[in-house]
Amino acid sequence: MNRNQIFCSLVTGISFLIGTITLSAQEISEFPGAQLATQGLGRPYWHVFIAYAIAIGIVFFWVVSIGRRLSQIEKKIGN
Amino acid sequence: MRNYLKQIGTILWKDLLVEFRTRERLITMGAFVVLVAILFNYATDWVRVSPEDIASGLVWMTIMFAGLLGVGRTFHLEAEDGAFQGILLSPVPKDAIFLAKALANFVFLYIVALLVVAVFMFFFGLEVSRNFGMLAIVIGLGVLAFVALGTLFTAVSTGTRMGDTLLPVLIFPLLAPVVIYGTGATSQFLAGRPLTEAEGSIKMLAAIALMAFFLGSLLFRFVVED
Amino acid sequence: MSSKKILLAGTVLAMIGLVWLGAVYWMSFFWVSTEVTQGIAQRIMYVHVPAAWTSFLAFGLAALFSAVYLWLRDERLDRAAVSAAEGGMVFATIMLITGPLWGKIAWGTYWTWEPRLTLTLLLWFIFLGYFLVRSSTENPERGKRHAAVVAIIGALDIPFIHLSVIWFRSLHPEPVVIKAEGPTLPGDMLTTLLMSFGAFTVLFLGLFLLRYSFENLRSELDTRSRHASV
Repeated sequence: MNRNQIFCSLVTGISFLIGTITLSAQEISEFPGAQLATQGLGRPYWHVFIAYAIAIGIVFFWVVSIGRRLSQIEKKIGN
Repeated sequence: MRNYLKQIGTILWKDLLVEFRTRERLITMGAFVVLVAILFNYATDWVRVSPEDIASGLVWMTIMFAGLLGVGRTFHLEAEDGAFQGILLSPVPKDAIFLAKALANFVFLYIVALLVVAVFMFFFGLEVSRNFGMLAIVIGLGVLAFVALGTLFTAVSTGTRMGDTLLPVLIFPLLAPVVIYGTGATSQFLAGRPLTEAEGSIKMLAAIALMAFFLGSLLFRFVVED
Repeated sequence: MSSKKILLAGTVLAMIGLVWLGAVYWMSFFWVSTEVTQGIAQRIMYVHVPAAWTSFLAFGLAALFSAVYLWLRDERLDRAAVSAAEGGMVFATIMLITGPLWGKIAWGTYWTWEPRLTLTLLLWFIFLGYFLVRSSTENPERGKRHAAVVAIIGALDIPFIHLSVIWFRSLHPEPVVIKAEGPTLPGDMLTTLLMSFGAFTVLFLGLFLLRYSFENLRSELDTRSRHASV
């Protein structure tokens, strides 16, 4: 159980880290991306960030759901 | 081998006899087909589209939905009075049961499918006389693939709490190729194109039907063993 | 391998996969160069293509495990099949969401009947059926068998679906289909893509093992409670 709690918290931490990178990249993209973005089709590139955020979000969701199910069942078996 | 065919024939004959005495499924499916055609009449702007343009899609969709209605009832009659246990306990091989059930479904659905074509001919002035033989073959192959998958998955869905509502979710994704090749060939016939153009579609339909029957008779035993 | 070891291996692999995925995110945001014709939108490829690959791998594994399960009737195979199928659903969902987001920029429309996109959508529904059959069959033993049949037929139907959707498209050609991802990717894009393939695959394997050990524990709990009630 202890290991699972560590696992869950670590996963949460890493996922938040990645999430922050994803979100902050929107700000940072002002400089490396902005010029390139304007030379493209003239569309906002929110799609890219949404795609990346959704990808990590779904993975995160699955990780958390597996972690929760595992810890629940370990608790039941432990007792 | 002869014994095997005889077993299939016996079960098939039983199913056909029951159906032709009660005519439950045929009447339901037939009424469904005619009523759908009536609704299509009002759902479509016939000034802007000619029947030939969209008829192949409508014909196939009607067959699919009517097929769901009919195939979904394959095991109901036996399930009600537990007669299916009797069939399963009999020394008949499981794949013979599957083949007989699928063929019985084929007979019903093929009758209904030809009715669909007739209804579209009658209501919407669809011109089918040029290639009627080929059209009947294409529809027959599509219906064969449908009943093979349909019979197998009806046995699956009958065992679930959801029953027949589950059936379309299970078989529609698998039937996408049947609809694509079927409508493709049908619209080519309706447009009066030469038969050679539809040859590829017909071959694919035949391959799908063959595959579906092969897999169905192979896997049916795993569905009904208990 | 004992169940403890599987759990440990799964945890380690999932950790590596998550960190690796973070690195891939960093690479695809800050490191890789931007593709000329499509601009930044092309970067969606680094999550879309590996997710697609992983979902196909997972569905393939699920069908394989299901087939062997029907043959050998080892409970572990069924547990592996359901774990792989769940992973396939997860990654197919990622693929199906990121694909249209890219398509909106590259093709100007969210959905086109692009063969691979259509195939994955149909596959997603086939495996939705797999889970519905499993969960709604009253007798769990029978549910496992029926779900295995669904997975096998679904997997064997894939070539037909694939051929037919390609054939369909050739009948009705798309007016503009920009297909920029040629086989000749520049070096750093290829590196990022390969890194992403690695990250997704390792992440999937790790989570698959964790999911599998969950199934193991659950069946252990089931047997225990059955013994207790007897």
